[in-house]
Amino acid sequence: MERYDIAIIGTGPAGISAALTAKNRNKSILLLGSAALSPKLTKAHRIDNYPGLTQITGADFAQKLREQLDTMGITVTEGQVGAVYAMGDYFGLQVGEEMLEAKTVIVAAGVMQGKLLPGEDRYLGRGVSYCATCDARLYPGKTVAVLGYSAEASKEAEFLAEIAGKVLYFPMNSAIPKESENLVILHEKPQEILGDKTAGTLRTDQGEHKTDCIFVLRDAVMPETLVPGVETDGPHIRVNLQMQTNIPGLFAAGDIAGKPYQYVKAAGQGNVAALSAVSYLQNAGK
Amino acid sequence: MVREITNNNFDAVRNAPFAVVDFNATWCGPCRMLGPIIDELSDEMDDVEFFSCDVDDNGDLALVFGIQSIPAVGVFKNGKLVDMSVGFKPKAAMEHFISTHA
Repeated sequence: MERYDIAIIGTGPAGISAALTAKNRNKSILLLGSAALSPKLTKAHRIDNYPGLTQITGADFAQKLREQLDTMGITVTEGQVGAVYAMGDYFGLQVGEEMLEAKTVIVAAGVMQGKLLPGEDRYLGRGVSYCATCDARLYPGKTVAVLGYSAEASKEAEFLAEIAGKVLYFPMNSAIPKESENLVILHEKPQEILGDKTAGTLRTDQGEHKTDCIFVLRDAVMPETLVPGVETDGPHIRVNLQMQTNIPGLFAAGDIAGKPYQYVKAAGQGNVAALSAVSYLQNAGK
Repeated sequence: MVREITNNNFDAVRNAPFAVVDFNATWCGPCRMLGPIIDELSDEMDDVEFFSCDVDDNGDLALVFGIQSIPAVGVFKNGKLVDMSVGFKPKAAMEHFISTHA
């Protein structure tokens, strides 16, 4: 398997800026994200403070970024990164069911919007899971709930329905999976995850559901879930001015590295992170 | 060295003063990443006995210890479970977790 020099997670201004710089330095790069780039970016009404671009809309800015990636011969690998594992001298990146490898990683995945459900954090790993493909096989014949926030959630629910006895699917912001004998769709709003030592009940605005596991499938996850062992500060990864984190070889840039949430700041940090990764690779003699 | 637990036989852990059990499964991605780290720690932490427990092969043990998500790493003192770490941890963090119970 190819072990990339630099894996970059996120296709907003921070990730793209990091990719451009890394490519310039002749590094092999794995840019993970969406071919449509950052959905937050294309929705921006107008950007007034980006040097060189006068009153540009988010959609036009995204188009220019795409053209720049094409010109530089950088391709985007589509996929959601479930987790980044620091293995010491390299990183394992779980993308769907695949495990990819890189010598360094730049996390530019954006900051998680919205709040966790009460109890979600507390019971994570104890009746709450973020990964259907990872944990489904622990629940053969059992009853599980799926909170479908992400675009992929409906597919994961269908996969779960092949293994679990019963899947209760709560569509939050996503496609509706195929209903079947053991997949039921409930249009209720989850409010809280309850339990004792482990989570056992999902409370919604309309009642309570007993479950063996609650799968919460979101587009973005908290940084410590994305990178086990990384030091965080609220929803942000803690970085220094070189964009280094507490894990050697792991860097962060953009919104996930802290406020202000500005495109020009994100692009600047992406640049610094890429240069720091390049110098890390040099020092490691790889 | 990490010893494999088979047939739900937990005697070796019960008889160990200080043991670490890595509950895992072959199909679990994070478990496969944690495995080599547990291997390395077993070579470096001389006063700890390390075990690997496949939850598919040892379903009864997984049930007894309430394993809900894997990897799960349990610390056992004189056969009693004293702490459990769920999920992947980098080597330094896992070493810290185990050594706090030394």
